[in-house]
Amino acid sequence: MAETKTITLELFRYHPETDSEPRFQSYEVPYDEDWVVLDAINWIKDYVDGSVTHRWSCRMGVCGSCGMMVNGEPKLTCAAFLKNYYPFPIKVEPLVNFPVERDLVVDMEGFMDKLQDVKPYIIRDDVNDTSGGEYLQTPAELAQYKQYSMCINCMLCYSACPVVGHEDDFLGPAALALGHRYNKDSRDQGRTERLEVMLSSEAMWGCTFVGECTVVCPKHVDPAGAIQQAKAMGAQEYFKRFVMPKGAGATKGAGA
Amino acid sequence: MSRGKSGRPTRPSGEAFWWALFSAGGVMAAIFVPAFILATGFLLPSGDPAAAVEGAQRLAALAGWWPVKLVLLGVITLSLFHCAHRIRHTLMDLGMRRLAGFLKLPCYGGALAGSVWLALVLWGI
Repeated sequence: MAETKTITLELFRYHPETDSEPRFQSYEVPYDEDWVVLDAINWIKDYVDGSVTHRWSCRMGVCGSCGMMVNGEPKLTCAAFLKNYYPFPIKVEPLVNFPVERDLVVDMEGFMDKLQDVKPYIIRDDVNDTSGGEYLQTPAELAQYKQYSMCINCMLCYSACPVVGHEDDFLGPAALALGHRYNKDSRDQGRTERLEVMLSSEAMWGCTFVGECTVVCPKHVDPAGAIQQAKAMGAQEYFKRFVMPKGAGATKGAGA
Repeated sequence: MSRGKSGRPTRPSGEAFWWALFSAGGVMAAIFVPAFILATGFLLPSGDPAAAVEGAQRLAALAGWWPVKLVLLGVITLSLFHCAHRIRHTLMDLGMRRLAGFLKLPCYGGALAGSVWLALVLWGI
């Protein structure tokens, strides 16, 4: 019988209650060309070291849980095949630009707050009135936002974006793209509320159009494009205030 | 001042104004400037030196006409502000993010100075 091929995984390890600083630990994993990095990490957890901590769920690029840095690149580990790295070792780290909670798990709290800030849901004045039936849309109206609705909140774009790392007030690619997705939805009436937040100093304008968010997006959402469109929309809103200073523009619905 | 969930101030920003200049300048720099260069630098000059000189003189005369002056002023001024904004944000990416406010002075000030100089030059033609 032929000798089993193996591949080395170097995992970022950090348990805040016992470790004073992070370290890397190497594991030899059986190599299977059908395996993805997530399979290898699950194998380590099941058979070698149960203390390895990581997030995952669907294994099919839908849930957005298993994003990690694979050899320095933000990737969904369920879509990163071992065969693309074999025979070289694979270094797996938690997503950068996030605080590390434990091993490969990052703290998503800041991201969730930013997501809530853009109100990523349909806002309507007549939300309880269903007497008119469903809100109909033409295919053209659907096409306006459909691409941006494919986001799975995997946060790879936050790890790829240099501005996210430098500027705490920057809302970041996914949140801005989602805000834009609802601003472009013909059923929505909450654009002014959302722009209230998006137009503030660094929230959106912090983007310097590096474009890496779009490069790493596993769902081809193009957050960079969404941000540029949102900036154009925001600039229109900004100048509208000079034309119609009171009671118009993004001053409505200031929220809290 | 109202704040978002993540503690962000929801104050509108003047950044929209600079971005609008940047955006308009981007169109100018990407479409009109190459078109001008193509027309005046490659298409108009022919193999015949005398014809080339005549063409250049005609162009200079054209630039003396006030609607053309206005177009040149618009295209070049907006392109300058486009450059200024790009340079400012590149410097911010390179680690000068804390100086974002101060950088407006040399960047947009430079673009404004260039625009004033251009206006004087055009005035003199």
